Amino acid sequence: MILAAGAPARPIVPNFGSGNRCVVENHTFCWSWVNAHWGDTLQPALSQHVELSAIAIGIGFAIAFTAGLLTYRHRWMSRPLEGFSALLYTIPSLALFQILVPFTGITTTTVEVALVAYTLVMLFPNIVAGLNSVPADALDVARAMGFTRRQTLFSVELPLALPTIVAGLRVAVVSTVSLATIAAFLLPKGLGYPIFLALKEPSPFRTEIYAAGALTVALALVADLLLVALRRFLVPWARRSAV
Amino acid sequence: MTLAALSLHDFLDAFRFIGSNWSLLLDKAAQQLELAGAALGIAIVVVLPLGLVLGHLRRGSTLAIAASIAGRALPVLVLIAAFLTVFGIGFVNNMVALAVLASGPILTNSYEGVARVEPRVVDAARASGMTGAGVLRQIELPLAIPLLATGVRIAAVTVVATAPIAAIAGGGGLGDIIVNQAGYGFDGVLGASLCAMALSLIAYGLLTALERAVTPAGLRRLAELEKGNRRREAVPVSVIT
Amino acid sequence: MRFARMKTFAVGAVVLAGFAAGLTACGSSGSSTADKPKIVLGTKNFSEEYILGQLYKQALEAKGFTVSYKENIGSTEIITAALNSGKINLYPEYTGEIVQDVFHHASTPATEEATYQLGKKLEQQKGYTLFNRTPFSDTNAVVVTKATASKYKLKQIPDLSRISGLKLGGLPECATRFNCLIGLRKEYGLKVKFVPLAGISSYAALDAGTVQTAIGFSTDPVLGPNSKYVVLPDSKHLFGFQNIAPIVSQKLVKTYGSKLADTINSVSALLTTPAMIAMNKAVSVDKQSPQAVAQAFLKANGLL
Repeated sequence: MILAAGAPARPIVPNFGSGNRCVVENHTFCWSWVNAHWGDTLQPALSQHVELSAIAIGIGFAIAFTAGLLTYRHRWMSRPLEGFSALLYTIPSLALFQILVPFTGITTTTVEVALVAYTLVMLFPNIVAGLNSVPADALDVARAMGFTRRQTLFSVELPLALPTIVAGLRVAVVSTVSLATIAAFLLPKGLGYPIFLALKEPSPFRTEIYAAGALTVALALVADLLLVALRRFLVPWARRSAV
Repeated sequence: MTLAALSLHDFLDAFRFIGSNWSLLLDKAAQQLELAGAALGIAIVVVLPLGLVLGHLRRGSTLAIAASIAGRALPVLVLIAAFLTVFGIGFVNNMVALAVLASGPILTNSYEGVARVEPRVVDAARASGMTGAGVLRQIELPLAIPLLATGVRIAAVTVVATAPIAAIAGGGGLGDIIVNQAGYGFDGVLGASLCAMALSLIAYGLLTALERAVTPAGLRRLAELEKGNRRREAVPVSVIT
Repeated sequence: MRFARMKTFAVGAVVLAGFAAGLTACGSSGSSTADKPKIVLGTKNFSEEYILGQLYKQALEAKGFTVSYKENIGSTEIITAALNSGKINLYPEYTGEIVQDVFHHASTPATEEATYQLGKKLEQQKGYTLFNRTPFSDTNAVVVTKATASKYKLKQIPDLSRISGLKLGGLPECATRFNCLIGLRKEYGLKVKFVPLAGISSYAALDAGTVQTAIGFSTDPVLGPNSKYVVLPDSKHLFGFQNIAPIVSQKLVKTYGSKLADTINSVSALLTTPAMIAMNKAVSVDKQSPQAVAQAFLKANGLL
C-alpha cells in the first residue's frame, strides 16, 4: 500500500470537461458558467450572505430599539449615544474586523459583532428621531383619554414613529447587505467570497464578479422592497413616502 | 492567560509596531488620502454641478434619490472588482470605484440643497428680473451650502474610510498593510487598522469643523431650530464599507 | 385593531431579534465535549490548496470520517499559527516550506526524499507528523511574459539585472523567505523592488505591466503548453523541493489509527505532476469548482 517516490503511480485523470470559449477567454458574462455553478458556488454564498445579514439586522434592531426606547425616556442619553454612533461608523470595516480579532478570533462572531455595530449606528438615530417626531398634540390626546404609559407607547408613539423607523431600517438593511461582502476577507462566507476568489485568478474572472455583484445588489433591493411592503402593511394611513 | 490579557498583549504589540514604523504608516496614510482625494475630486467636479442644475430645474428628483440608494446598495468590493475588469489593476479602477461611492451623497445633497430653497424666495428673485443662471448662482447656491457641505463631508469621510479595501486591487494605502498579514504580522495588521481608524476619525473631525465654518451662521441657527422641531431624513446616511 | 397589529409586530420583532441572537450564540459555540478529537482540515489560501483540501476531505468522508473543513485560512505563517493553537489539526503542506519557512533552516536538502525526511523529523519534535508525500512537487518559479523575455533576451535569472527599475511581484510572504525574495537577492544577486500582491494574481500583475517579473508556481496551468509566459530556470536550486505531505497532529493519528493514514496516503499516491496540472487547469482555466474537480478525480480512481 505504501508507494515510495521511485514508483510513479498511474492515476486515471478524468476529462474534467474543458470550459467553453466564453469562460476560457473570460468574456464579459457567461450564462453557462452561472447555470453550471449556481448550486456549488453562487447559491451557498447567497444563503450565507442572507444568514450573516439577517443575524446582524436582527440583533442590531433589538439593541437599537431597546436603546432607542431608553433614550426616549431618558433624554440625557441621546447626545453621548449619538456621538458615539457617529464616530463608530467612520471606522473602516476591514480595520474594525481586525481590531475585534484579538477578542473573538477569526469567527462568525467577529463578523457579526462588526456588522451589528454598523447596523446599530444606522438604526439608533432613526429610532430616536422617529419617537421624537411624535407630535405633542397626539400625546396630549392620549393623556386626555387616560392611556397608561404602555398604552401610549404601543397605541400612539410607536405607530407614529414607525415610518421613520422603517426608513432607518431600510437604510440599515441595504447597507448591511452591502457591508457583508467584506466579511469574506475574514471568512470564506457570503457573496464577497466568490469575488475575492475571482480577483485572485491569473486574469480576474469577469462572470463570477458580475454574478456575485448582481446577486448582492438584487438581495439589497429585494430586502428594501420587502420593508416598503411591510411599512404599507403596518402603517397604511401614511400615504406619503419618506424615502 | 485570560482572554483580556491575550487581547491586551496583541494591542501592545500593535502599538509597538506603530511606534517603530511611523514613516511607513505616514506614507501609506498619505497614499490613502491621495486616492480618496482624487475620487472625491472627480465626484465633485462631475456630479455636483449636475445636482445643482437638476435641483434648480426641479427635475430628476427620482435620479437624485436613486443615487443615494445606489450608493448604499452597491458594495464597494463589487465596484472595485467590476472596474478592475474594465480598467485593469492600479490607481484608476480604485479611484473610479470610490468616486462612484462618493457621488451618491453629493448628488442627492446638491439636488436637495437647491430644490429645497423656498419657492417664494426664488419667485421674488425672478420677479426682480434675475435670469435663471443668476438665481442659481446668487440665491439658490448660497442657501444650499449647508446641505452641500454636509453632502461633501459625508462623501469625504466615506471615501477615506472605504479606501483601505482598495488594497486588494493594488490601490495602496493603509489597507496594504491590513491585507498583508503574511508580510507585516498581526501586530502590523492591528497597528495599521488602528491608524486607519484614527485617520477616519481625524477626517471626520476636520471635515465637520470645515462644514460648520462654511455654513453661514444664520442658516446654521435655522437648521438647529428645524432639527429641534422635526427631524427630517433629509440627509441620507451613507455607508462606510 | 391596527394598533393591536402594531403591538404584535413590535413584540414579535424584538422576540425574533432575540431569537436570532440565540441562533448566533448556538452557532458559534464550540463542539461537543467528547473525548475524541475531531478532524479539522484546513487549507492555505490558493487554488491548488483548495483542490487538495477537497480531495482529502471527500476521501475521508467517503470512508466514514467526519471532517470539519476550514478553507482559505492563509499563508504558511498564518496556517502554522492555526495549527499550533489547535484550531486545525490537519492540512496539506509543502515539504520545502516546512524545512525553510516553518523551521527556518537556511540550507535546502539536496533531494526530494531528504527534504521530506527532514521535515518529518522536525515536525515530530513538535507533536506532529507527516503522512506520505505526493509524487508532484510545486516549487516557486520566476516568470516573465514572452514579450519581456524577447525584449531583454532573458534566458537565466541573473539576466533580469538588464532591466532597469526591476520590479518583482509575488505573494506578500515571499518578502521574508529565503526560498523567495531573500534568496533571489542573496544567491542570484538581483537588485529588485518587491511588489507584494495581496489580492491579485502574479500573472495579472505581469499582464498589466505593474511588474516586469513575478513569482509563479511550477504547477500553474497558465505555464502549460502554449503559455504566454516564460519560466527562467532555477539553476541554483534555490526553490528546493516542494512535495505535498499532509501535516497531522500525532494525537489525531493515535485516535484514528491506520484507517486515517491509509485513506490520506491513497489519495496522495495518485497526485502526480500531470494529474495536478490537469486539476489546476480545470479550476483556474475552465472555472470548475475545486469540489467538483476533486470529486471527479476521486471517482475516476475508485476512491469515492
